[in-house]
Formats: sequence, C-alpha cells, structure tokens
Amino acid sequence: MRRLAIGFIPLTDAAVLIACAERGFAAAEGLHLELHREVSWANIRDKVNVGLLDGAHMLAPLAIASSLGLGHVRVPLVAPFALNLNGNAITVSNPLYEDMEQTGEDLGSGPGTARALGQVVRRRQRAGREPLTFSSVYPFSTHSYMLRHVLAAAGLDPDRDVRLVVVPPPYTVESLRSGLIHGFCVGSPWNSVAVEAGVGRIALLGSELFSRAPEKVLGVHARFARSEPGVLAQLVRALDASARWCERPQARDELALLLSEPRHLGLPSDMLARALEGRLNAAGDGAARSDADFLVMHRDGANRPAPAHALWIYAQMVRAGQTPFSADAAAQAVRVYATGLYDAALAAAGGAASVAAAGPAPADPVGTRFGTPFTPDDLEGYLARLGTA
Amino acid sequence: MTPDPSLKIVIVDESPLRAAILEDGLREAGYVNVLRLSERHNLLARLHAIDPDVIVIDLEAPSRDVVEQMFQVSREVKRPVAMFVDQSDSSTIEAAIEAGVSAYIVDGLKKERVKPIIDMTISRFRAFARLKEELEHTRTQLEERKTVDRAKGILMKLKGLDEAEAYALLRRTAMNEKRRLVDIAQSVITAAELLK
Repeated sequence: MRRLAIGFIPLTDAAVLIACAERGFAAAEGLHLELHREVSWANIRDKVNVGLLDGAHMLAPLAIASSLGLGHVRVPLVAPFALNLNGNAITVSNPLYEDMEQTGEDLGSGPGTARALGQVVRRRQRAGREPLTFSSVYPFSTHSYMLRHVLAAAGLDPDRDVRLVVVPPPYTVESLRSGLIHGFCVGSPWNSVAVEAGVGRIALLGSELFSRAPEKVLGVHARFARSEPGVLAQLVRALDASARWCERPQARDELALLLSEPRHLGLPSDMLARALEGRLNAAGDGAARSDADFLVMHRDGANRPAPAHALWIYAQMVRAGQTPFSADAAAQAVRVYATGLYDAALAAAGGAASVAAAGPAPADPVGTRFGTPFTPDDLEGYLARLGTA
Repeated sequence: MTPDPSLKIVIVDESPLRAAILEDGLREAGYVNVLRLSERHNLLARLHAIDPDVIVIDLEAPSRDVVEQMFQVSREVKRPVAMFVDQSDSSTIEAAIEAGVSAYIVDGLKKERVKPIIDMTISRFRAFARLKEELEHTRTQLEERKTVDRAKGILMKLKGLDEAEAYALLRRTAMNEKRRLVDIAQSVITAAELLK
C-alpha cells in the first residue's frame, strides 16, 4: 500500500477526499490516504511545497497563483482532479439585510439582491458613513472573485466603494456579530453556522451567480506528478469513485455523519446534510434558499479540470488587479489544470465516456447567471468589457 | 552578524508561553522592538497600526491567511509583505515549516538583516516542541506510576500479598500476556471497580 499524506481544510467540499480515505475508495486502488486537517490555505500550500503533504484540498485559484508565483515564492502545482464546483454563499449581517429589504428590490432573485446591495452602498456613501466591509477566505479564492462580481454587477467598484478583507471561516460569526465585517463569502457550512448563530442571513448562493464555478481541486506538487505519474493516476481513479459515491442521494446521510466527526469538520450532521442536498436555511426563521446545483461533486463532468475554468480564474486575477494580463501567464495557468492526467487516468475506467455524456462545452463555461458573461475564446474582449484590459 | 535593533518584530502565537520564550530570545539578542499579539479578530488592522518589519506567526494560527492578504498591493496595505526568504532558500522554508512557524517581512528588507531573527525563531520553536514532549512524557510516567500503585494496593488487600509480591504478580502477568505493566494494572483497577 502506498501511503499518501493529504491535507484538508474542514469544509463540506473536502467530502470527496475524506470519503476517498474513509470509505475504501483509496484502498481499492492500493493507496492509503492519511488525512491531515489544516487551519490555513497558506499551511496547505507550504506543506505541499516542502513535501510534508503529498497532496491537498486546495482553492483552485491558490493552485494557479502559486504556480504563477503571485504574491509568494513560486510553487509549481498541478491540479489533476476538480473536487467540486460551487458550494459558496454570500451571507450578510441582519442589519445590512434589513437595509437591503427596504430598497424594495426582489431579494429572492440574484440580480435583485445585487441591485439592493448597490443602493445600500450608495446611500451610505451619500450619508458619509463608513464603507461596508466584506470578507473572503483568501486573496486568491473564488470567494473573493464572487464578491467582486456581485459588486461589479451592482455597478460598484470593489476596490473603492467597499472594503474587501480576509477572515478565516471559523472567525466569520464573531466578526459579523461584532460589526467588523458586514458580510462575507465563504464555503459551506460556514454560512449556515452564521445563520444558526442568529448573526446573519444568506443573501445569495454562489450557484445563483455562476451555475458551474470552479472551486476546490486536488493540488499536488509538479515534482510528484513528474516522478510518480502512476500513483497519481491511482489517486485520480480513487477520487473519481469517491465523487460518484458522494453525490448519490442515498449516501447523503452517511456522508454527512462522516463529515461531522470531530476529526473531520466537527459540525452538526443535519446542517451538513442540508448543504449536500442544496437546501440551506437562509435565516433563523427557517426560510430556505435552495438550489440543486449549490454543491456539485461529480455530475456533468464536474471532476474534469476544465482548461476554460483555469482561464476564468486567471481572468479574475487580472480583474482584481492581482497581476497584469499576459498571454504567457494565461497559458501557464491553463497548464496547472492537468486535464491530460485526468483523462489518461480514467481512460481505462470509462471516464472519457462520462465526459462525452456531459455534452459539448457550454458557451460560458462558468454559467454566469447575471453580470458580465465569460467568453473564454475572447479573453481580452472579456477583460475589456470589465474595464480592466 | 550583529542584530539590527531598529527592526520592529511582531510575534503572533496562540501559545503565550512560546511567544514569551521567543520574545526573551530576541531581546537577549539585542532586538528591542518586539511585540506579542495573541491571535485575535481584526489582526490586519492591528498589524497596520503597528506597521512591523517582520511578522512571526505560528502555523496553527488560522490568521496566516489574513497576513497573506498583505501580499496584495492595495490601498489597504501600506507596505507590501513577502515571505521571508527568496526562491533559492528552500532549506530555511523547510526548517521553519517543520518547526511549526512561518515569518513574513516587509518587501525590500535585505535577507541578511532578517536571517538571524528567522534562525532564532526556528530554534526556539524547536526547543519549545522538545520541552513540551518531555513534559508530556514526564506526566505520562507519573500517571502510569499512580495506576500501578493503585493496582498493587488492590492486590495486596484482596489477596493478602505484600507490596513486592503484588508487584511481581503484575509483572509476571504482563510478561505472560505480552502486555504493558500499566495496561495490566489498569485492568485490575477496572475489574475491582466492576466487582465493587
């Protein structure tokens, strides 16, 4: 049995990795996964870098930023498997939600929510009040790009009209309660934790913004992919089997219980089961916000690292001012998404068939539901439309 | 390399004891501008207010991700911050991560000025880990001795043995069953409690 040390952050979307280790999928491929719970994305990156971890649950933008050497020493990483699409939500404080309600916009719809937020921000500006502060989980994260997208759709400048900061998920409840932040975008189940604590309300599910946004990947060091391609292929096959299982409705309760164990997430299993189902309590009064695509772990080719997703992430980095645009860097970002490794690993296992069954790639690979749509074939045009090129 | 006392150093550590040990070390080495922050909310604002040259943070602090926000050049950040070593110095990164610590410096600071601080941090973190291990070991030994003593007492009372005989019985049983002495002692205590 080949032993692999795998890091994860306690989030619902670590499910495929955790089930892979704990429900026999790794063992069936001759692997023994030793799970290591970590407290920060920086730890995940550094431990993969120095070899304390063989691979990890990783923010897709972190894998790309590290490979490009953005904001840190360059750590060449490879993502041969997408662990999930979607899974985030934006939660706002109770007072902010009340302000948004007073605008009269339809808060049941995504665009209505964005318009309401825009009006509240402008009203505060006119009144000379402090700008609103929103937090994400890491500078290079889908969460921060989602916040930016909503704010831009509301006609706001995310760098001027609000403050964007980083707050680790376990601190979001306290930060919202104390008024340090007015809202946040985090992964499941931390939005539900804030709702149950009575300090906030889920305003928008990530899937109401993008129907197929990249989220977490399995990230490994490039030297591992080079030196042990066979082991990596075994791992990809084990994850594929695990992802299939995780998404079965019949497995939901068992998976929620597994995730709720103290050594994994240590949070109530009923809350996790609702997240897996895509039926979240949006407010303390039990009002629900539901979307079957809230968290996608396998279906429709979700696990195949799509080059267009890597390109979207790179475009968001440019949009956020984290890097100037370069065609070379864009190509390098796409190479981090090791589609070839995924395809090769699953070719024998009928993976190609499941990709084909997903049908042709949609025109907008992230399924933008409102705001500027993404056009991977015309990246510079997309950036120009955002006013960043 | 003589230390540069003008550098402002912030230690972010969930363990106050370890932070104190590191602070003492740095002060002894001549660094006078050393501040300890226990990890709390609104760390970024506090770091902005202090405006340190070097930030040392333990790996168990979730706020590492908050500090990494300072890599971003934006209006929120007065001076961009970088990881403490350049690309080539991977052995120092490795040593630090294994010791359970990370450090960030303000961009543009020369490596030579910071190196003694990093080395001291790594060695103090290692020493602290060793100390903790020894303490843990001592504590376990003490507890095991108490368990064996209690088991001996039970055997002496129930079987009318003297202390040496009771101990010999425990040892013989452990050897026969290929188990640790303390495990046998624990079984005796459990059994005695069940039969009370």
